[in-house]
Amino acid sequence: MTPLNDLNHLLEPEAPLTFSLTPQGGTFDEIHVKLEGAVSSANVDEFLTEIKTELAKEPLKNVRLDVSDLNLLDGSGPAALLRIKALCAAEDNNLTLLGAHPELIELLDAVDLEILDSGILHPRPDPNLLVQIGDAVQTLRKMASDIIVFIGAIILGFIGVIKQPSTARWESIPKLIERNGVDAAPLVCALGFLMGAVLAFQAAIQLRKFGANIFVADLVSLSVTLEMGPLMTAIIVSGRSGAAFASQIGAMHVKQEIDALRVMGIDPVRYLVLPRIIAVGFSTPCLTLFANCLGIIGGCLVAMISLDLTPTVFFNQVHRVLEVTDVIKGLIKSFVFGLEIAVIGCHRGFQVRGGAESVGSATTSAVVTCIFVLTITDALFAVVYHYYRF
Amino acid sequence: MTALYTDSCRPEDGCPIIQVNNLTVGYGDVPLLEDVSFEIPQGQIVAVLGRSGCGKTTLFKSLVGLLEPSQGEVILAGHKVRAREESLDAELMSNIGVLFQSGALFSSMTVAENVAFPLRQYTSLSTAAIEALIVLKLAEVGLSGYERYMPSDLSGGMQKRAALARAMALDPPILFLDEPSAGLDPVSSAELDETIRRINTHLGSTIVLITHELATIFAVAHRALMIDKSERKIIGDGPPWELAESSDERIREFFTRGSTIAKRNP
Repeated sequence: MTPLNDLNHLLEPEAPLTFSLTPQGGTFDEIHVKLEGAVSSANVDEFLTEIKTELAKEPLKNVRLDVSDLNLLDGSGPAALLRIKALCAAEDNNLTLLGAHPELIELLDAVDLEILDSGILHPRPDPNLLVQIGDAVQTLRKMASDIIVFIGAIILGFIGVIKQPSTARWESIPKLIERNGVDAAPLVCALGFLMGAVLAFQAAIQLRKFGANIFVADLVSLSVTLEMGPLMTAIIVSGRSGAAFASQIGAMHVKQEIDALRVMGIDPVRYLVLPRIIAVGFSTPCLTLFANCLGIIGGCLVAMISLDLTPTVFFNQVHRVLEVTDVIKGLIKSFVFGLEIAVIGCHRGFQVRGGAESVGSATTSAVVTCIFVLTITDALFAVVYHYYRF
Repeated sequence: MTALYTDSCRPEDGCPIIQVNNLTVGYGDVPLLEDVSFEIPQGQIVAVLGRSGCGKTTLFKSLVGLLEPSQGEVILAGHKVRAREESLDAELMSNIGVLFQSGALFSSMTVAENVAFPLRQYTSLSTAAIEALIVLKLAEVGLSGYERYMPSDLSGGMQKRAALARAMALDPPILFLDEPSAGLDPVSSAELDETIRRINTHLGSTIVLITHELATIFAVAHRALMIDKSERKIIGDGPPWELAESSDERIREFFTRGSTIAKRNP
């Protein structure tokens, strides 16, 4: 009886691997084939093709393969015999392996042959359109209920903290403000400056035609404080903090750290989400204020260079048109943006199921959802500020 | 798969498949193992044992080329193992199967795709042959029918077994297994031990097991290497049943305490 496998070929890899197939005759409904030589991954496909050709020659009921002199050098040999077994089963033929190692027969018998024909390496076909629509609606419903439950948990968490302030993780808030606010400040300032400069530059080209150079100050100061400052800052914060929250909480979920908090009787929302909401809710308006200042300075610089305005004239005009309420409106919007970013980032983190890929999807999804929600909120604020002036 | 041994290292001339020469390795400036040397001939199952934190996994990482030793060398079948950040020597690694403590299955792939990964990487087998191989390897580890499952849908023990199927997909002559039976129930653990023994018998694979499961050590290992945390080196080398009766108190304690815990349960 030959061994199931043999690693000797590894010592002489150049030696050609061959096999031979000799039909031994048989009764009218039987084929008896003697297989000799060695089979490995190098010649297994050829081996399979030859056997299939031999078996296809006549309609048979009983196939007897003598493998007593067949050396199976690696796992491909048993795999080929499994394929032959599946082929025989599909055509209702009986396969008998003569001289095979009992463990090989046991292994082949342990396999469900239907699995082989199900194309395990091919993705399952997509369900029909109706099922897909149904699935999408179900997913949407689940998402909506999840976010409502999550917001409810946050509100309950805040109520709990108000009742028992000691249950909040206050000590983590300064660190979170540093990471999500202070560390983001250089980037926000640089982008705010460039944003103001670009706005002024584009406006200068048009305003110069009408001799309305001074109005560049109106345009830059109002658009930066009311729209561009809060929105650009929020986009940066969602890219930094929203993504970070989703990946941090997602990784904690994968490592069962969230479950560990739960079994210790600690509410993960109160422990992880509330400090983040407070930190980002505080940091985002501060960052917006930086972006606004730098944006106006950038606009002033461009106005000085391309419109020959002096800083005094520019800032006098800004002082005339820009009201404190405009700045406050921008900061209120920015505060809401900050809350949204923290909630969405944390929520996506809690939705992680499985492994690394799920964490990646949650991170991407957090940023995309943040930007989408920010845009809608910005539009709502525009409408609200238009109709309810203060 | 390519030739395993180099011309200068032939097993018929007595060249061991694994050689560790004066290995000193650790993290930062603190060595966990100092001046460790041993040889493993082809076909042997060797269990590396010791208490937690003694450097078993560090040795495992050095053997598979994931950790650069500060001194000494690891030689597998005549090839010196060089730890590199980007990727390890592909020719050598195609002859080595590695099972990580966590399983380390690719979470974005199904179980079948995980097992197919090394087969696609290192062989030119047809899809039909690869599928048959996957089905067989999963049947060998008792995971028939789980081909389409994602790793996250499996229990820890099942993930470990799927990872073993991936490690042995290429029928490697050398297998490194880090804590193969950790987290498994006794029945699954015994089945896994049986699989390890079968791989060794049928393939002649050399297997290095990092473990502290006494049942596994006695069930499969031909030889055991005991690492001591304070001495930072191997203090016992021999068949497990001989080490269990060693004159060294530290080695004997490892075996007797372990077996006492095993027996305590009525």
